[in-house]
Amino acid sequence: MATTMTGRGIAFLRNISGVLHSRLQVLGGSPQQLSCLHTSSSLESKAWEKKNLKVYPPQLPDEPRRPAEIHHSRRQIKYSKDKMWYLAKMIQGLSIDEAIAQLEFNDKKGAKIMKEVLLEAQEKAVKNHNVEYKSNLYVAESYSGKGRYLKRIRYHGRGMFGIMDKVYCHYFVKLVEGSPPKTVEKTSLDQAKQYVQNLKNRTIIHSL
Amino acid sequence: MAMPMRRTLVALHRATCRRLTNAEVSLDVRHPGPLFLPVRTKKRYFIPPAVGMKAKMEGFTEAKARAAGIVGKQENIERPINISCTAGVFDPYIPPEGDARLSTLSKEGLKQRAEQIRQSATSQLAIRKIKEHDSLFKTRDFAERAQEIFVEAHNALTQFNKEKLHSLVTERCYPEMTRGNRYKTIRWSFIESLEPPRVVHARCTDMVTKGNVYGQVTVRMHSRQSLAIYDRFGRLMLGSEEQPKDVLEYLVIERHLVNPYSRWRLHGKIVPSWAPAKDPIIKTVMIPGPKLRPGEEFDALNHEVPKPAAVQWYK
Repeated sequence: MATTMTGRGIAFLRNISGVLHSRLQVLGGSPQQLSCLHTSSSLESKAWEKKNLKVYPPQLPDEPRRPAEIHHSRRQIKYSKDKMWYLAKMIQGLSIDEAIAQLEFNDKKGAKIMKEVLLEAQEKAVKNHNVEYKSNLYVAESYSGKGRYLKRIRYHGRGMFGIMDKVYCHYFVKLVEGSPPKTVEKTSLDQAKQYVQNLKNRTIIHSL
Repeated sequence: MAMPMRRTLVALHRATCRRLTNAEVSLDVRHPGPLFLPVRTKKRYFIPPAVGMKAKMEGFTEAKARAAGIVGKQENIERPINISCTAGVFDPYIPPEGDARLSTLSKEGLKQRAEQIRQSATSQLAIRKIKEHDSLFKTRDFAERAQEIFVEAHNALTQFNKEKLHSLVTERCYPEMTRGNRYKTIRWSFIESLEPPRVVHARCTDMVTKGNVYGQVTVRMHSRQSLAIYDRFGRLMLGSEEQPKDVLEYLVIERHLVNPYSRWRLHGKIVPSWAPAKDPIIKTVMIPGPKLRPGEEFDALNHEVPKPAAVQWYK
């Protein structure tokens, strides 16, 4: 490397420092600037419940009947979101009677809570959302999310400690009126045929 | 080779530090911020609501504050409540049976027409009392005004215009009209009036103190209306838009007579006991069955659905 830096080099370095400084100011920014990054408080947002308040305009007589959708959730369940996820994905796509039956005979703690949530949602559907038959519903979406954790100290040996999380989770479910959609199962032979077809569809460009 | 590099790096470091500490507003900075900039301002911790309840529950803080001489928040402050409508219909009008069934040309129809408001003495007294407070009161004009109030109130209900609805409808009638309708679409139209509206009944009542007079007037109107209620998803719940229905209604209009700024507002409707049953809603509803003892079976053939008693009620 050269013993002295060139004039251009020094100017370049000064430029960098200037850019860094302005960047830091912009990033660190005024508190008003930072707050506009999160316009709604994402800690207590109840967007899932608000989906129940959407009103559609009256349907014309030639349109197909719009199926009713009911969004329901339970917040701050004392359970792990990862353990809840398994149950949530187990009932996704089943009819509501089938889902309640599966959860009733499942041994997990989350299954009992999920069953209560489903029954609540079914009652709300019949009472508030003009659903005619309470069995004519199926679980369209069902998933779990992270709740707000409490932090505690877990004492280790030699004066070391760890921060223990007391986990909570939310559970969201969307019931739709109608019979559950049938998923066409693909056989292994079909998949193999598809693979061979994909290989045959390849085009070789710039060839003779 | 290493020395000059270190020198330039030190120079660079010094330059940045100087710039940071000075906080001079350079020409190209867009947002001149404060000297000490917090990096994280988003709340990332969670305090459960139960923290802090222990200290409040002990109750020593109140006594301490009082001993120290601090005047705390005043509870039991008197708040004036404005009662601008009565709780129900006083002495409701009992419509005679077969009111709209007989034509006016037959003998019985003429008899009914002859039973006008002049027969009832209490109604006359009430109308006299109303005229004391409001000298321009006339039964003929009032009946038409009542119909106008009714039509405007229902139009405001379809648009869900709360302020207009409150000015046309009393506080007792408002929840009855709007309960459950927040997330539904209502399409209502008043097609025509089949008979001119008539004032049929009037009463004046006192609330709380003796001079606080409220006047209630019952108006009978026979009209053609069409109603269709759609639920949240735009599906028809009740009625139909194309088919109008002939409706005989007894409206109760009320006004707080002592208050000079009060208006005549719709207070309720009287549904007679002989009124025909309404059309059922489009969906099927489960009726709770009889309570069975263990071992008993439900006898579907001999089970009768209990019908409600035909009683006059007001809505």
